[in-house]
Amino acid sequence: MSYDADSTFVFAFPTRVIYGAGAVSESSLECDRLGMDKVVLVSDRVLAEKTDVVAQVRKALGRRVVLEFLDVPPDSSVAAVEAGAAKAQAAGATGVVSVGGGSVIDTAKGIAILLREGGSLRDHEGFQNLTRKAAPHVVLPTTAGTGSEVTYVAVIKDVEAHRKLLFGDYNILPDSAILDPLLTVGLPAHLTAATGMDALSHALEAMHSLQRQPIADGLALRAIHEVRAALPTCVKTPGDVAARGRQLVASTMAGAAFSNAQVGLVHAIAHTVGARFGVHHGLANSIAMPAVVRFNALACPDQYRQVAEAFGVDPSGSDEALADRLAGAIYAFAKSLGLPGGFKDVGVPREALGELAEATLFDGSVIYNARPVISAEEVLPVWEAAWQGEG
Amino acid sequence: MARFPSAEWVTLYQDAINGNPAYKVGGANWDKGVVALICKAKPDVGLEEDAGIWLDLHKGVCREARLVTSAEALKAPFCITGEYARWKQVIRKELDPITGMLQGKLRLKGDLPTIVRFVDASKALVESAGRVATEFPDD
Ligand SMILES: NC(=O)c1ccc[n+]([C@@H]2O[C@H](COP(=O)([O-])OP(=O)(O)OC[C@H]3O[C@@H](n4cnc5c(N)ncnc54)[C@H](O)[C@@H]3O)[C@@H](O)[C@H]2O)c1
Ligand SMILES: [Fe+2]
Repeated sequence: MSYDADSTFVFAFPTRVIYGAGAVSESSLECDRLGMDKVVLVSDRVLAEKTDVVAQVRKALGRRVVLEFLDVPPDSSVAAVEAGAAKAQAAGATGVVSVGGGSVIDTAKGIAILLREGGSLRDHEGFQNLTRKAAPHVVLPTTAGTGSEVTYVAVIKDVEAHRKLLFGDYNILPDSAILDPLLTVGLPAHLTAATGMDALSHALEAMHSLQRQPIADGLALRAIHEVRAALPTCVKTPGDVAARGRQLVASTMAGAAFSNAQVGLVHAIAHTVGARFGVHHGLANSIAMPAVVRFNALACPDQYRQVAEAFGVDPSGSDEALADRLAGAIYAFAKSLGLPGGFKDVGVPREALGELAEATLFDGSVIYNARPVISAEEVLPVWEAAWQGEG
Repeated sequence: MARFPSAEWVTLYQDAINGNPAYKVGGANWDKGVVALICKAKPDVGLEEDAGIWLDLHKGVCREARLVTSAEALKAPFCITGEYARWKQVIRKELDPITGMLQGKLRLKGDLPTIVRFVDASKALVESAGRVATEFPDD
């Protein structure tokens, strides 16, 4: 792949990654290393009440847990972050351990900001706006997935203002990511598939971003290969720890890739339809990918050739034929995992597409899409294709 | 010729913005309020304190531009902070400010998607800065 002579990039990956079946037992040692003797354990009710995941982490951490904060709503919220931070502060916590999917991890990132800075979350909104590191944070992801354990991003819903607060900051990158595939084996099939497609979309978007860069490319291409190899097994044989492990590592690699290379139109669509109709983030990305690949066909053919190879798709032929074949393969892959193919299958009315197309332009992700997205008219056909869900 | 950053430079910058047709078009729908810039102090080049630049931008026009303290600048709904050397790169068009924010070279207080939505306006603002005959204290 060629890069312009004037290309510049920064690659930041300060998070220590610890992998292994049973690695949950490492969490205590990581806390010691980071001087975290009083922590708030952040998770959600499903994980605490319907699985043994929180119990395992609680056991590993022992007495250093001064508070468990389990009231994390899907996609997080300003109110949850502020309530969690206030309780954690009152309990004397100085560090954060999060156990969960992206909703939990992003909530914990917000709590880590407030434990260090105080005030209200809205005071700190911005990009690279923090002047010092947030409170120490150890993450144990239970979906594979968002990659949030290694990203500089947190997205937190401001329910009252009907918008999302976006944080992008090296100071919220977690200190440690403990990847234990055993924590993901209980994830139901449909969520395994949807969160797994989120990881694939991070890798794809890192590749077609205008901020793409060689180090992120390396991670993204490997992640694409691994998702294709492992995700179907995770869905069909949930207890296959080796496949769960491959998918989990792929998700972390894809997270590191996009945290440095950014995301594009796929995520702009997913954020928009998620905010308006509550479609799960990973599922929305899964549905959006084929239409966006076709839209970008002529803008980044070299990258798509590499993506095709990594995804086991014949990379030959014209740029358009190649993108079409790649889009078809992603669609068929999602279908084989039991996921719906179009937004029409998940409760999005056709009449909403015009409004959704408008709103897409207000999502920060569009700017780094390979093909510039300038007007709603231009992006409407992408929404229509994704709504139909054509293979 | 005006030294960056100084009150004279800010006045010339306002003229450059208002004389730039690309800003008139790109910023035509901007009604999100003041954008402030902070250049961090750099005593070894004679910049003893942080310098704030207050840009009251509205619908393609810079209604007011003045040099302020950093505490004042931080009251703006959007505030971009950078080291002196970073602003020099921006003015010389060696660093795109939005890329700079994503890469941690500049800090943004405020909503990034809003800024991104007005990417043409932000490009024109940078372009206007490049049109000011600028003297850098360390050159
Ligand atoms: N910060 C980032 O870099 C980043 C990147 C992508 C997505 N996100 C955000 O992440 C959120 C989505 O996260 P997600 O897809 O991981 O879903 P999620 O965290 O919302 O979890 C979905 C459901 O799965 C359950 N669950 C999680 N792990 C489980 C397990 N092992 N067993 C059984 N149930 C389990 C949860 O309790 C929840 O009910 C969105 O808000 C999205 O915006 C953030
Ligand atoms: Fe995502």
